Amino acid sequence: MPSNNNGSRRRGLRASLFLPLVGAIFAAIDSPTLNASEPRVSFVNDVMPVLTKSGCNVGVCHAKAGGGQKGFQLSLLGFEPLEDFEHLVKEGRNRRLFPGAPDRSLLLLKASGQVPHGGGVRLEAASDGYAVLREWIRQGVPYDTEATPKFVSFEVQPSHGSIQRKAEQQLKVLAKYSDGSVRDITGMALYEANDKAMADVTDRGLVKISDIVGNVAVMVRYQGRVAVYSASIPLGAPVENMPPSKSFVDDLVFGNLKLLGIPASPVCDDSTFLRRVTLDIGGRLPTEEESAAFLASKDEAKRDNVVNDLLQSPDYADFFANKWTALLKNRRDDASDTVSNFAFHAWVRDSFLANKPYDQFVRELLAATGTVIGNPPVAWYKRVKEPKQQIEDVAQLFLGVRMQCAQCHHHPFERWSQDDYYSLTAFFSQVGRKPSGTRGEDLIFHKRGLATAANIKTAIALKPAALGDVIPEITADEDPRLKLADWMGGKHNAFFAKSLVNRYWKHFFVRGLIEPEDDIRDTNPPTNPALLEALEKHFITSGFDLKELVRIITQSRAYQLSEVPNQHNIVDRQNYSRYYPRRLQAEVLLDAIDRLAGTQTDFANLPPGTRAVALPDNSYNASSQFLRVFGRPEAESVCECERVQSSSLAQSLHLLNAAELKAKLASPTGRAERLAKEDKPAEAKIRELYLAAFSREPRPPELKTALDYLNEPGNATNANWQDLIWALINTKEFLFNH
Amino acid sequence: MTDFVFNSRRRSLFLTALIFGASLSLASPSFAQSVGLPAPRLLTTTPMGAKVGTQVEITISGEHIDDADELTFSDKRITAARKLDASGKPEANKYVVTVAADCPVGIHEARVMTRLGISSSRAFCVGTLDEAVRAAPNTTLATAMELKVNSICNAVMSARAADFYRFEATKGQRLIVDCATRGIDSKLDATVVIADAAGRDLLVERRGGALDFTAPADGKYVIKVHELTFKGGPAYYYRLGLSELSVGAPIVRLPATKPVNSFSWPPQGLKEQAELAEVEPNNDRMKAQKISLPCDITGSFFPAADVDVFEFEAKKGEVWWVEVASERFGLPTDPSLLVQHVARTGDAEKLTDVAELSDIPSPVKVSSNGYAYDGPPYNAGSADILGKLEIKEDGLHRLQLSDLFGGTRNDPKNVYRLVIRKAAPDFAVVAWALHMELRNGDRNAVSKPLALRGGATLALEVVAIRRDGFDGDIDLALEGLPEGVTASGLKIPAGQTRGLILVTANQNAPRAIGSATFLARGTINGEAVTRRGHMASHAWPIPDSWGEIPSPRLFADIPVSVSGLEFTPITLSPPKEMLTVTAGEKLTIPLLHTRRTEFSGGTLQLKTMGAGFDRTPPFDVTITADQSQAVLDTGALKTPPGDYLIAFYGGAVAKYRHRPDLVTTAEAAHKQATEELAVIDAELKKLIEAAKGAATDAKPEADKAVEAATAKHKTVTAAVTGAAEQVKKATAAAAPADIVDIIVSEPIAIRVNAPAK
Repeated sequence: MPSNNNGSRRRGLRASLFLPLVGAIFAAIDSPTLNASEPRVSFVNDVMPVLTKSGCNVGVCHAKAGGGQKGFQLSLLGFEPLEDFEHLVKEGRNRRLFPGAPDRSLLLLKASGQVPHGGGVRLEAASDGYAVLREWIRQGVPYDTEATPKFVSFEVQPSHGSIQRKAEQQLKVLAKYSDGSVRDITGMALYEANDKAMADVTDRGLVKISDIVGNVAVMVRYQGRVAVYSASIPLGAPVENMPPSKSFVDDLVFGNLKLLGIPASPVCDDSTFLRRVTLDIGGRLPTEEESAAFLASKDEAKRDNVVNDLLQSPDYADFFANKWTALLKNRRDDASDTVSNFAFHAWVRDSFLANKPYDQFVRELLAATGTVIGNPPVAWYKRVKEPKQQIEDVAQLFLGVRMQCAQCHHHPFERWSQDDYYSLTAFFSQVGRKPSGTRGEDLIFHKRGLATAANIKTAIALKPAALGDVIPEITADEDPRLKLADWMGGKHNAFFAKSLVNRYWKHFFVRGLIEPEDDIRDTNPPTNPALLEALEKHFITSGFDLKELVRIITQSRAYQLSEVPNQHNIVDRQNYSRYYPRRLQAEVLLDAIDRLAGTQTDFANLPPGTRAVALPDNSYNASSQFLRVFGRPEAESVCECERVQSSSLAQSLHLLNAAELKAKLASPTGRAERLAKEDKPAEAKIRELYLAAFSREPRPPELKTALDYLNEPGNATNANWQDLIWALINTKEFLFNH
Repeated sequence: MTDFVFNSRRRSLFLTALIFGASLSLASPSFAQSVGLPAPRLLTTTPMGAKVGTQVEITISGEHIDDADELTFSDKRITAARKLDASGKPEANKYVVTVAADCPVGIHEARVMTRLGISSSRAFCVGTLDEAVRAAPNTTLATAMELKVNSICNAVMSARAADFYRFEATKGQRLIVDCATRGIDSKLDATVVIADAAGRDLLVERRGGALDFTAPADGKYVIKVHELTFKGGPAYYYRLGLSELSVGAPIVRLPATKPVNSFSWPPQGLKEQAELAEVEPNNDRMKAQKISLPCDITGSFFPAADVDVFEFEAKKGEVWWVEVASERFGLPTDPSLLVQHVARTGDAEKLTDVAELSDIPSPVKVSSNGYAYDGPPYNAGSADILGKLEIKEDGLHRLQLSDLFGGTRNDPKNVYRLVIRKAAPDFAVVAWALHMELRNGDRNAVSKPLALRGGATLALEVVAIRRDGFDGDIDLALEGLPEGVTASGLKIPAGQTRGLILVTANQNAPRAIGSATFLARGTINGEAVTRRGHMASHAWPIPDSWGEIPSPRLFADIPVSVSGLEFTPITLSPPKEMLTVTAGEKLTIPLLHTRRTEFSGGTLQLKTMGAGFDRTPPFDVTITADQSQAVLDTGALKTPPGDYLIAFYGGAVAKYRHRPDLVTTAEAAHKQATEELAVIDAELKKLIEAAKGAATDAKPEADKAVEAATAKHKTVTAAVTGAAEQVKKATAAAAPADIVDIIVSEPIAIRVNAPAK
């Protein structure tokens, strides 16, 4: 329910924060400065939340690794109260806190800006937080006793709801303590929306909804715990003439649209579909022959058939190998990497060609043993050498969980602790290495022994455990990585299938059901949970069949919607009520230009005609300005975000007048030269160009414009055909998958 | 960018090596020379094999084999004759090879005799399939070459391309596509693809396996072959076999050469077939297979993550030896074995590790294939198992065998043989040409043939795998050498694993070839035993170890030759008689230098090889002197009394002259032509004068004579020009070139006497 925001509200909140606090604390007084009747300030329950809310203990301030700031160290987001107490009370030659004159405490002087503070003013002297800290200091900086109530949990009210665009919702956050008490901590909790374009949240928990429809989540954090407020923002437009459902995908996409009142765009035409699906599955434009045949076909199942044909083709394997090898860091740093990179790329490509079940693919990678030539997934261990890096990559890429934070501290937005991190690391603790004949390459094997990894903080050796799930005892002889693979491929794994179907959904729909696609957590819920769950179930039931997943997605009506918005769904950015256009990837665009220009890009030491999507590693970026400008990744990260999909001036200039493009257009064996020489009506040639570029016939005005240009005196030359092709390349229709 | 980085690194390493080399020893050779005196190397034969019982024409290529004459094979049932042209003259590099009907199918060695001696060997295959040779480029679908079922095609891989073949198959027909590459000395790592008629990939093999293809429908299919990284050229040749196989029949791979470490398998007297086979399921303790010792079991690391568990009873104090072979079969496996004592109390078990065995270590440090030479690029060790099992307690023992490389792999072809026996002490030896640091990155010498120049001594490094506790001396010998060639074995002393053999051709050894036998002798349980050793080498010379990983293998035989026409740059000759020294005293050894060429630099740093003396500090001798001396301090070395055989060796830069005899020949030819020209010149002048003064009626005759003489003059002038060219060419070729090579002294026999008491 939206609430009013007025000047008195803040005062009210201040009172609601402090008075219950005061009222709740009637612990025994052991400080000489404290009367028995005075409420006692709890360091953990009162002081720590102030420090966290004020941002003192964020990573760039006093929780910065390696000593904090100016010698004052706090634990990140207050996960370690006892350590923070020690730092505050016992360090800094006791300058930080003066119980005799609390206002002279360096902590307060700095935080309130009374003395210069690099972090600026964090607490006004008149603020509630200042008062809490001051009172705690005055009481003699006590630490909590056994009797101090413990923070148990908190809840957000409301936890979810439907809310109109441009409306507001005041959240209320209530904390529960071990003594049964409940405290309103709305003013002390921290808030963050998962899509800031959809909702903004004030530091007092007021959610302000923008005009974008869909689902948005607000993460609420307090004392190391998290909760979520999920808002559904309907459009409320009349929803009629929804395309008929073909599968559960359509049921759930269209069902969600109905719920939100967002009418879907109609199903796209054949040309658009063929071009879209060929680009998305095969990473290439349809040939003129394919387009002509598809457009001419009256077969009702022709769309389903083309999906099946594409999935059977090596183009599918090439395109998805290109995607995965970048994520798996198939990176060339030295000439000696060449053989292993080719072998690894080929293994990935062949796996997709043979439609190896995804769980098997991951198993072969994770538990790889032997030599690179004998077993190419071993090359992953050449690239990712340390167990920590291995689990971080595995968690992010295959589980959609970012564990990096938990190496040094409890994950701030998640339930993952350092124990979780090191328990996962333990799976890779028995990876043995022997030198091979090839410089820089090791033979990988399971080193007999009990797998453990020590928590860097507690030094306790932890057995393998997988994100909270207990793994059956692993003996010294068993390779723990196989057990990890078993766990991943289990039918009830909460991450593995979900992560993959979300990643693939994003591949085809531009936006994942969870964004970013590799940051799956309770506080970042999917925009369509039922759809994600159904896809996950379908994928598992199919035996982790990747082609079947692609099939169910691309044969759906939802995938085949037009990109043209209607009067309502133009505001939709996450519910798939229309297709969201996307610029072609660097490699795909280069191949598409080559296809249209009738040329080939020459890649060093590869067969002439090798497509850019079939390149084995990143090394070709160095010699291709085109690939660099259009954002081909260098295979340094497991994040898809390494691929730059945004536009830039350099890209525009490149397409307009780069020497490389000009050379392609002017190639003596190129299409322009052929068309100029070919004895065929100009109209037929223009039709050929449009079919090649857009998989469609030219529209009458387009045909006329082109013919007029060519019919200008002296214009039907090679140069003019080049101009025409150049013009087509520079259209959005060509540059985008739409 | 990559190339730049690569080159910068190389350059930087090179400079580092240069600076260090210069600072460490001024006597070290400079780095501008080439490495290794010219050695004849047979590098390719086209085709690479023949069908048994047929005759085939073969073209050869290689290094320093321009003057090749006889082509021979390791099996005498393969013979060759020079191919003659229409005029009956031999055609260069062409031979007609006849494979007798009774010639065994498999890999044989081919080599040619040259002026410098016998060339290095090249694998030559004899098979039963019809042979074809790819004649025209086939790098597109349209130009795909037809390959008949049950035939094999010999081809050279096209660079930056795939080679295309097409074949027809009927629905359900089972076809095996196998591509021989590394196993026949090729540098090719093949990717083989079976595709549909449109060239769309159906089945891919990139790890050297065979493709087992059952045609889904009647029709045409395509085979594509390319190098993993799309390299190509003469060194990347292959034999592509397409054969029909009945459903269920086991695949028989095309023959391949043997890896170096296979020399240590099988143990002496092992039966060809194991007595027992593992019985699955035997993956855990509940299903352990009961055996009794001794045993000889065959099994397979299949399926993925297979663990084979066996149980046996044994008594405290028993000692067994365990050997597992799998990797030595050429398989990509790494067996690991654990034996535990099992103490049961009710259902509970207490397990105590008794032995954990894996890997047979290399007897010597193996090259890391870095830029600097840090050990021989031959691994005589293995991922297999050879170790001792000492029973500590009576009772049940559980043995589990697994493949450390088999966690995710499902291939029943990864077989093993497990032998547990009472101690049967024995040994196996393998030898290869000794290499040392000559120039960073260069491994040229490791692939050289045993082609000796007169006066040369060549050292072979020998390593032994000792079995079941054998600890005695191993004496080394090379027998069946050609006339004028002797071999001296620098034995492998008791408890050690490395020795040397010196093969010396005396200066007057006649041009000859012999097939040597490498023998190692020891005494086992008081009985003298002789074991035949193996010889290993590399398929290709490697001038840059940074860019190429060596690919060694065992060779079927050991041909040894003497050039008879060329001599080694320098011979270091000690006294022929045995030298004596009293233990604890110094021994001075005079060395006579027989120098046949000039050298770059004045000194030669020598190291000492041979047990008892190999820790002698390196010392310099003046290479330009006619003699020098070495001083060995038996006191410092603590050499015990006994008989020793040693030698000195080092790297020197010779001013090598290629065929100076050709200069003499060319000069003589030039001189003769010049003289002939002078004669014809004088004669022509005379005829011209005669023609001028000739009477009218004699004029036509005289003019005719002038014309004839002019023509002859022209011919002879051309001959003089040609001869001058030949002189120039021969002189240029014979110009001294700096070549660094290993110089080994003739062997030195030393007797160290016990000091008088």
